Amino acid sequence: MTYLVLAYAFAVAALGGYLFWSLRRLRELERIQRGPS
Amino acid sequence: MSPLRVALAVARKDLRSEWRTREVVPALAQFIILALLIGNFGFQIDSRNATSIAPGILWLALVFAGLVAFGRTFAAEREQASLEAMLMTPASPVAIFAGKAAAASLLLIVCEAVMLPALSLFFGTPFSAQVVAAVLIATVGMAALGCLFAAIVARVRARELLLPLLTLPLWIPFIVAGGQAVQSAMGLPGSYSESISLLIDFDILFLVLTSLAARFVLDE
Amino acid sequence: MNRYERAAVGAVALMLIAGAAIFFYAPTDYLQGPVQRIFYLHVSSAIAAFGCFAVVLVGGVIYLRNESPAADRFARAGALVGVLFTTVTLVMGMLWAKTVWGAFWVWDARLTSTLVLWIIYAGYLLVRRLADPGRQAARLAAVVGIFGFIDVPVVHFSVTWWRTQHPGPVIINDALPPQMLATFLFTMACTVALAAVMIASRYRIETLVDEREQVFEPAKVLVAREPGGVAGPVQ
Repeated sequence: MTYLVLAYAFAVAALGGYLFWSLRRLRELERIQRGPS
Repeated sequence: MSPLRVALAVARKDLRSEWRTREVVPALAQFIILALLIGNFGFQIDSRNATSIAPGILWLALVFAGLVAFGRTFAAEREQASLEAMLMTPASPVAIFAGKAAAASLLLIVCEAVMLPALSLFFGTPFSAQVVAAVLIATVGMAALGCLFAAIVARVRARELLLPLLTLPLWIPFIVAGGQAVQSAMGLPGSYSESISLLIDFDILFLVLTSLAARFVLDE
Repeated sequence: MNRYERAAVGAVALMLIAGAAIFFYAPTDYLQGPVQRIFYLHVSSAIAAFGCFAVVLVGGVIYLRNESPAADRFARAGALVGVLFTTVTLVMGMLWAKTVWGAFWVWDARLTSTLVLWIIYAGYLLVRRLADPGRQAARLAAVVGIFGFIDVPVVHFSVTWWRTQHPGPVIINDALPPQMLATFLFTMACTVALAAVMIASRYRIETLVDEREQVFEPAKVLVAREPGGVAGPVQ
């Protein structure tokens, strides 16, 4: 039963974490690109 | 010049260069003997388990020797320069690739000629035409893949790390089918003809795919 | 909030609904107990990963045919997201295995071929990182990605071609009760949607990085692009 929770916790952490990180990276890159212009 | 003659010319050049320097074959042969020796000590070989462990050691040694033999085909600086020169001619890149792969296979086959009798000698396993055939058929497909990935990593950093990483996953079918073939040839349960036809299927599949891919990888 | 963030919120909302379905709507399996619920996201992730690697395949083929940088960017995005979903598949599978089989890992055909799949595309990402960026990296990686895709049907059919410890194709063989099947199909759709959002945002990231580093421009010389921009050669 704990393995069930662990499994979904991992999935949420991995997928959610990646999504969050990549959206932040995207924001940062968009900001830099818009910057000098 | 026809593609076949190009391939033969390239193969002959590579083989001649190896004949002059004689660096790869002795080193590989030595490595293979060492691998057999270490296998003997590592696995506590006795007459009972020799036949079940020998096929595994055979393929282990073959895989590592193959990585070295095929890894070299595109590695040297001189190789890169002469490769670029060859590619500027109207010769087909696939023919050049085929020539280099053929030369590298021949080197590996010479080592196999050392390894298989040594395996029989040290492990007491049967040295039959069936074992030889299985190894030779697998070598063809493994050579095509190994040389293709060697060409890919030739211009990439950390190529010694990347070559096994890319090549081994695609060699797994050959190791599995080849392992089964050698096992059944040595008397363990399994269908020899099934494994051999699998090996031949893999050979055909990968020969076709690598010849299609060769021109994308070689030119530049 | 830009449109990628909006899409992400939508995808996350869908996943939360799927989660609710997995834990509250789907019935508990009689034989395995609660741990069977791992199956819904585990299989969905595997399918999402296959889809991602198909994107790598198609992107690679298109790139080799007409050198389209967009195709290469899709391939890059697909590989990264695919490795992510394959990792999720493997880890969830291992936790399930520990409960049901008593071991985290067995070397059966399905698990081994999935691990090989992970290794292949991790290798793809390494090639991209280590090769000179631009045309060379794109070509070499395209070949790796195309060859690597051979493993995808192997993983899928491994449970029918060999006798494996891994459960057989219960979905295809229609061996699931309707509530479970419905939950699974819904979860699969949501997971694929999430993968699509991840690929789209990664594609955008790659586009911006390419532009900033002039990856596919023919000349590596940067002339003043706009007032106040950098002028002169840039390496």
